[in-house]
Amino acid sequence: MENFSLTVKKTFEVTRDSFIITFNEKIDFAPTQFIMIETPSVVRKPFALGKWFDDLAIGIQVIGKGTQYIVKQDVLLAHGPLGRGFVPPSGKGAMITTPACLAMAFDLHQRYSCDVFIGSLERLQMEIPFKTVFGNEKFVNLLKSLNGYDWFYVVGSDQMEKVAFNLLREKAPVYLSFNEYMACGIGACRGCAIQTKEGIKHVCIDGPVFRGDLVWN
Amino acid sequence: MELNPPLVIASGVGGMGEYLKLIDPKYIGAYTLKTVTLFPKQGNPPPRLFATESYLINNIGLENIGIDAFIENLNANQYEELFEKVKVIFSLGGDNPEEYKLVAQKIATYEKYFEAIEVNFSCPNVKNGGLNILSDLFSFKEVLIYLRKVLKGFLIAKVGVEGNFVENVAQIVKDHGWNGIVLINTIRGLEVVEGKLIKGGISGPVLKPIALRAVYEVKNKVPELYVIGSGGITNEKDVDDFFKVGANAISLGTAIYKNPQIVEKIAKYIRRCCE
Ligand SMILES: Cc1cc2nc3c(=O)[nH]c(=O)nc-3n(C[C@H](O)[C@H](O)[C@H](O)COP(=O)(O)OP(=O)(O)OC[C@H]3O[C@@H](n4cnc5c(N)ncnc54)[C@H](O)[C@@H]3O)c2cc1C
Ligand SMILES: Cc1cc2nc3c(=O)[nH]c(=O)nc-3n(C[C@H](O)[C@H](O)[C@H](O)COP(=O)(O)O)c2cc1C
Ligand code: FES
Repeated sequence: MENFSLTVKKTFEVTRDSFIITFNEKIDFAPTQFIMIETPSVVRKPFALGKWFDDLAIGIQVIGKGTQYIVKQDVLLAHGPLGRGFVPPSGKGAMITTPACLAMAFDLHQRYSCDVFIGSLERLQMEIPFKTVFGNEKFVNLLKSLNGYDWFYVVGSDQMEKVAFNLLREKAPVYLSFNEYMACGIGACRGCAIQTKEGIKHVCIDGPVFRGDLVWN
Repeated sequence: MELNPPLVIASGVGGMGEYLKLIDPKYIGAYTLKTVTLFPKQGNPPPRLFATESYLINNIGLENIGIDAFIENLNANQYEELFEKVKVIFSLGGDNPEEYKLVAQKIATYEKYFEAIEVNFSCPNVKNGGLNILSDLFSFKEVLIYLRKVLKGFLIAKVGVEGNFVENVAQIVKDHGWNGIVLINTIRGLEVVEGKLIKGGISGPVLKPIALRAVYEVKNKVPELYVIGSGGITNEKDVDDFFKVGANAISLGTAIYKNPQIVEKIAKYIRRCCE
């Protein structure tokens, strides 16, 4: 883990509010690890590391002042990589996510040859190498149709993760990336605690990925 | 207490030394540990944090492993690297006066490891202890007397601005033979985030004028006390201001969440300008 700056190579607009930002630097990281990026807020904000083809990248959905700031910068200050890398069980896996997490999806697909499915509320403004469905109803139908997988990995909003978890949990183990508010990202502040069936865990050091049934009923 | 530089990492913000992975120890005068209480605490249910550009609100609830586990770790040399790299301040807390005394008894044998023992009389996020002790001067004094008897080293009270006037509290602290005071802790605040109430302690830039006034009042009334200024310090001007009103050292807390390298920047500034 270290402090570093990242220089933006290119920003791709995926939808009106989702972007992929690629960087000139290379960093060694494990899948699903994240970095904390400085913004005008008094705390840094967590973003998952990923790749876009050969480049280091993050995916980002603009939802508030911090994310608005990040997409306008040429250089970002950050620390990481943080969290535990996700090691899936053996067998064929599927990742289900949103346009904001394309960089992480690309990395996971490269490393684990998993299938990737994207659920988006609006049309994409660029070509992506993954199957995409549009709208809530099609997303639910997609989840219902996914069979023959040995594991699922779902990343998105809490609401989206809950829907996916409930539709997939009977089919195979479902892994989820948790969205707790973070201040340090390194286990110091104790702000990102979640209650699990194995006691209190901290998303930044014990996660961010947990098996869904360890946390949700 | 001789700190070089006179810059401490605030209790709780830096956990149990985790920031040494990101901050060069030569810029840290002392590293204060997260408050340790008699019994382990799981902390409060989430959400525990909310931040803006001017403050952080936290409702951690003193999550910690408890003094017995802490001492077990100490004996197992788990903090050895920390002690090798920086001076360490132990932060002591409890849920009632009795617990403060018991934690003090337990840590007394290990005082040699610490540059000072800081006693947290000001956590706003626990039901008992913390702030409550300060609002009952009888139990406060009882704790001051007992801890001064049991602990032989540099003893610091960490107080907030709620409960009583800080300068009066500082006088009592000094009259009971304590050596220093940290001013201030977080102040109770509340946010409504997506319909959920987050009740917690406010830290960060909004605290600065309040903390500065506290240091000013205390230094005027009790100049002999060693004062560590804590609250919203984020840049060189803040450091100047705290030293101007008499602080002997400054504490960096929330500022390290925005950029851990602030510690190096401020330490270099202090070495250049203020020593
Ligand atoms: C481990 C992890 C990895 C993440 N990876 C990505 C990613 O790859 N791409 C992406 O677009 N988003 C990711 N997020 C979410 C991202 O951190 C938030 O969307 C971002 O912090 C919002 O900041 P803002 O200032 O724009 O919004 P704000 O208006 O400040 O907040 C909007 C919402 O964002 C969340 N949020 C804000 N600050 C934080 C914080 N310090 N920690 C956690 N959540 C916060 C809260 O739910 C809040 O309600 C991740 C979150 C976590 C916990
Ligand atoms: C996440 C968090 C946890 C904290 N935990 C403790 C603690 O355990 N004990 C304590 O005495 N103060 C604790 N504090 C208060 C800080 O030590 C400091 O006094 C306060 O944050 C004000 O300074 P700042 O504005 O520089 O952060 C905590 C503050 C934060 C933000
Ligand atoms: S974000 Fe600070 S402990 Fe997890």
